[in-house]
Amino acid sequence: MNDFLFYVIASAVALLSLLAVTLPNLLHGAIALVGSFFATAAIYIMLQMEFLALAQIALYVGGIVVFMLIIILLTNDLGVDNSLSRVSAGRQAGKGVIIAGLIAALCIFFTSNPSKLLHDATRQAAPVSIDEIGIRLLSTSNGFIVPFEVISLLLLAALIGAVVLSRRENKTEEKEKP
Amino acid sequence: MMPSSVELYPVNNFIGDIVRSIFPQPAAAVINGLLALLSLMALVGSLGAVLIFLERKVSAHFQLRFGPMRVGPHGLLQPLADGIKAIFKEIIKPAGADTFIFFLAPLLPVSAAFLVLAVIPFDHHLQVADPAGGVLYVLGVSGLSILGILLAGWASNNKYSLLGAMRSGAQMVSFEISIALLMLLVVMLSGTASLRGIVLAQEGTIFDWWIFKLPFLGILAFIMYLVASTAELNRTPFDIAEAESELTGGFATEYSGISFAMFFLGEFVNMFVAACLVTTFFLGGFHAPLLGLPLLDPLLKLIPGFLWFFAKAFLIVFLYMWFRWTFPRVRVDQLMYLEWRIMLPASLILLMLSGLFVAQGWVG
Repeated sequence: MNDFLFYVIASAVALLSLLAVTLPNLLHGAIALVGSFFATAAIYIMLQMEFLALAQIALYVGGIVVFMLIIILLTNDLGVDNSLSRVSAGRQAGKGVIIAGLIAALCIFFTSNPSKLLHDATRQAAPVSIDEIGIRLLSTSNGFIVPFEVISLLLLAALIGAVVLSRRENKTEEKEKP
Repeated sequence: MMPSSVELYPVNNFIGDIVRSIFPQPAAAVINGLLALLSLMALVGSLGAVLIFLERKVSAHFQLRFGPMRVGPHGLLQPLADGIKAIFKEIIKPAGADTFIFFLAPLLPVSAAFLVLAVIPFDHHLQVADPAGGVLYVLGVSGLSILGILLAGWASNNKYSLLGAMRSGAQMVSFEISIALLMLLVVMLSGTASLRGIVLAQEGTIFDWWIFKLPFLGILAFIMYLVASTAELNRTPFDIAEAESELTGGFATEYSGISFAMFFLGEFVNMFVAACLVTTFFLGGFHAPLLGLPLLDPLLKLIPGFLWFFAKAFLIVFLYMWFRWTFPRVRVDQLMYLEWRIMLPASLILLMLSGLFVAQGWVG
């Protein structure tokens, strides 16, 4: 049951990601991207990585894709088919063979050779609760308090910058008015 | 590997128990999930009718009219008639519109509402799923309705639609910041990001609800959340996205028939979802409004929790409607001024102050 579900979702991820990069219309590509983000979140849920799934949806679907859409909507000639110049079929096939070979080699390496690395990784990746993540982020002894604070400072600076920018615009508008 | 018999979000109420007693485990999990989703669909469908009828009646009474009166007693069957009319109307696609996006866009706001309803705790065990990061989920999924509006505006191939969509996108994205900060405040007070946990943290009398718990701060946060959510819902006084005198109908200009009805439904169900979130965050969710009186409290406790929940949610819905029929529409620049110069600094200060309260242990 679970394995079947995994294959369905994984093929959806693969298909939607492929569509996201190959569709000639940028907006269609963006929609395919949203779909693949959701499917990836579903895979995280299957792995019991609940927080990762929620963060994926909140950050990518709720934030980044919306901004991408706004930027795409501001570009010209959207409906026009401006696909990239075609690469010759032989070259594409060559690249495909190389990538497929690499992926196959990796798969064979990890499945035939049950290395200690892989086992340790899977054991460590046991379900992590949102509380543990929060404590780990903010603890001073064994956590990520310094990067966390640096990032929050950066974000605060960006926020204040946005406020300052919008303020200046308001003033010039008021001056222009008679 | 995850064992296949485990339900990630088990249904804990008596219906779930009955299903589990009849069917073997893997099937029971699937049936429980399907039942939960079906009940949500029924809720969304019936809510749309109820809310549209309510809006028409409330607006009519604010304007000293009766509103719909002809179809059924007091016009009760009017939503049904409207629904049938919408289904049988022709859907006109403008020339040069992008077919796929044009028909996809109306579905997104309703799906956002549907997905958020899945984590709302209607009663102690009346909740489809309770993820530990429920607040994050709510924030992320509500992005879908912004997506729907942006895509609708672009796909209509019409300047008014695109203008309306861009205004609406800018508005929703900016007010989402305030909403997120105020949600963070509630999460900080409750010590959990699960919606059920937030409700359970407000257990006790009416003075344990977050709106009254913090002296003055709670009610301020409540009012700011109401303002920000009204703006995010694109409702008057913040409905500049579809200001009909300037933009004819905003992003929905080119839509007709059932695809317009889907936008309409999405808007109304999203209003109810926002009201549910206000109820969960500030008004104690499914808890009865106990006053600490020895005689009255047991009586109030007799009423089941989901009735309290719906009563509170519809009270907030009535507030939203009251706003709509009382205040005039603001201008675009006034709207942005409100968010970036007033709401954002205010919510940051509020967050800091309540952080101080929590750190000092002044909150329960």
